[in-house]
Amino acid sequence: MNEPIDDLLSRRRDAEQPFRVPEGYFDALEDRVMARIAMEEAPETGRRRVWTVIKPALALAATFALIFGMGYGVLSLTQTLKRGNGTPEAPGYATTVEEWITPASLINYYEMDAQPVEEEIDEETLVNYLASELSFTQLAEIYAQANLK
Amino acid sequence: MTDREILKLYREGGRQEAFRLLVQNYKERLYWHIRRMVLDHDDADDCLQNTFVKAWTSLDRFRGDAQLFTWLYRIATNESLTFLSRQQTRGGRLELDAASRLSSDPWFDGDQLQATLHRVIAKLPPKQKAVFLLRYFEEMPYEQIAQVLETSEGALKASYHHAYEKVKAWMKEEMDVKY
Repeated sequence: MNEPIDDLLSRRRDAEQPFRVPEGYFDALEDRVMARIAMEEAPETGRRRVWTVIKPALALAATFALIFGMGYGVLSLTQTLKRGNGTPEAPGYATTVEEWITPASLINYYEMDAQPVEEEIDEETLVNYLASELSFTQLAEIYAQANLK
Repeated sequence: MTDREILKLYREGGRQEAFRLLVQNYKERLYWHIRRMVLDHDDADDCLQNTFVKAWTSLDRFRGDAQLFTWLYRIATNESLTFLSRQQTRGGRLELDAASRLSSDPWFDGDQLQATLHRVIAKLPPKQKAVFLLRYFEEMPYEQIAQVLETSEGALKASYHHAYEKVKAWMKEEMDVKY
């Protein structure tokens, strides 16, 4: 093996193809390739086709629902904090009793506490109550207003 | 039938017939190119079929600014490189195993020296190996290799030179040990 390696490499390049293929391999190749193409192009089954069509739409809908849900959650949280139900550090938190008790909240409180009068009040009781609570002048004014209507 | 006639037939509606002619014209050249890349017959067969299936699905987008055979060689080379890189990620370079099994491969008729040469070529990085095989065995002009591999001719010449020197050195090592 004293042959220079360059000569050897150039001789090997021209040597006969050392690889072999099974007999008839190339003769059947076109048919096999065309059969494989036909198989890959065959229409998908109904169920698989429906799923293929629906899948991207479902993914899109799920993404929108997630974004909407997250947005709604953030907005609700922000509104809650703005209403003053948050922590003392949160804006809108009432720091004094005067700020906390507003006229509206007082009205709501009394309306909530007021009990409907269920027992009947007779005329005599009513007259006695008015006579004891109001002066003659006030009663005369109420009477005059009632008769004017 | 020439490439131009095949493409004309394809565009005029004879898609299946035209493609069958295309397979007929290129099957052997592409097979031997792929076989030298992956070495094993079954792997070469898989890559070749994938090459033709990809060619079929994208032939209607073939603009004709490259020759049909360069375009097919590009698909075949990419398919082989993808196969080799998949083997690599599965653990090790399986083409090296295939190369070491060449002597006992029923579809390899070469002598010991040819087996050594292919074993040595298998040690090259995949892309360098593609350059070496296209130039060394197929004597493809650099201009065409550049179109196949979408690389500049200058880079290819340097790559081939490095590959040739590596193969020469490894062959010398192997032969010093064996002979």
